Amino acid sequence: MGLIESTGLPGDPAVVSHASPNWVTTRLDFLMNWARKNSLWPMPFGTACCAIEFMATAASRYDLARFGMERQSFSPRQADVLICAGRLPFKLAPVIRRIWDQMPQPKWAISMGACASSGGIFDNYAMVQGIDTIIPVDVYVPGCPPRPEGLMYGILLLQKKIQGESVTDGALRADRPVRPDGLFLPAERVDELSEPFGNSVHQTRSA
Amino acid sequence: MTPAVAAGPSASVAALRAAFGPAIRRHDVVAGDTIVLVDAARVHDILAWLRDTPGQRYDYLVDVTAVEYRDRERLLEVVWFLRALERAEDLRLKVELAKDGPLAVPTCTDLWRGADWLEREVWDMFGIRFSGHPDLRRLLMWETYAEGHPLRKDFPLRGHFSRAEQTRQALGGAAEKHYSLEELSIADAMHYLPDDMRERLAHGHHGEVE
Ligand code: SF4
Repeated sequence: MGLIESTGLPGDPAVVSHASPNWVTTRLDFLMNWARKNSLWPMPFGTACCAIEFMATAASRYDLARFGMERQSFSPRQADVLICAGRLPFKLAPVIRRIWDQMPQPKWAISMGACASSGGIFDNYAMVQGIDTIIPVDVYVPGCPPRPEGLMYGILLLQKKIQGESVTDGALRADRPVRPDGLFLPAERVDELSEPFGNSVHQTRSA
Repeated sequence: MTPAVAAGPSASVAALRAAFGPAIRRHDVVAGDTIVLVDAARVHDILAWLRDTPGQRYDYLVDVTAVEYRDRERLLEVVWFLRALERAEDLRLKVELAKDGPLAVPTCTDLWRGADWLEREVWDMFGIRFSGHPDLRRLLMWETYAEGHPLRKDFPLRGHFSRAEQTRQALGGAAEKHYSLEELSIADAMHYLPDDMRERLAHGHHGEVE
């Protein structure tokens, strides 16, 4: 069965989620994704040094606007992509979660830098060990901090990812709320993701 | 221009000894800075005296902090950094506290309004209470933080709880638990606040609230 049998607006995942891809949906995908990926409005969530590099990326020399990111959206309600630039302390975890929940679909997230992606060098009591334990992340940009070229490469990867999305995939745009147990991921996953690595295992107790 | 490093202790030491006698326990000079170790019971009097006595006039409180040494035998220290702005002179006051004793010193918020957050930070990080402080809540960690006082040496670097539990507590708490109600919205929060705080805010610089 195809799009013909559904009556709602095109692009509504509830309407077309059980449709299999066909000529109409793939053309529609192409058009929608092309529009979406070239008009990403970032919600900058800059908490630390990475945000400085983000600002450099957005400023004239690197000019993020070339990628359709002309407008930095400082309201989550008018944003498409959350860019977490910097470390996230536990105290800010409910804040980024609330911002994420306030962003309307379709939305994506970029985790910029080592801290946002893994806690970085801050393997301590105060720091979230990777924002993917709080919100879903689409692209991780490594580096401490990543250079503007690195962030732009991450954005290009995100655009590539968006170009591959399909309206027939209903799960894609489903919201992923905090579970009833109060976590975004199962507890074992959070613990596993937050495992110390590298030298930090030697630092768990003060000598 | 950098002032020459003073050779001897600050002149305030002799004056302090004359005024407070045995409450001044000892003094050190480290890199030109004078450090005076005093009795915890008298520290408030001494701070007030240093602030108000002509010739002393340490009118600026630079910082209040605390130290716990790696050497477990050593006592906890609370440190006050004072500066006399006019004379450009510094003085450092210290109090020693036994770790198993009551961890409390008198507040100096009545002398310097700016001590408020400094003392809250020391309470948050070290668990040292400042008796008489008008609003001794945690400053850096959120108010419902339950793992202890992070800068104490017996506090594990990654905290006491598992990462999952820490994440759960962080996510589960409403923002209202992490930020005080006055920070979120003073007008709506008024009726949650203790009487004294309400009084303070209503007549403070925060504007009119009913
Ligand atoms: S990854 Fe490096 S540059 Fe980025 S926030 Fe962390 S410490 Fe700062």
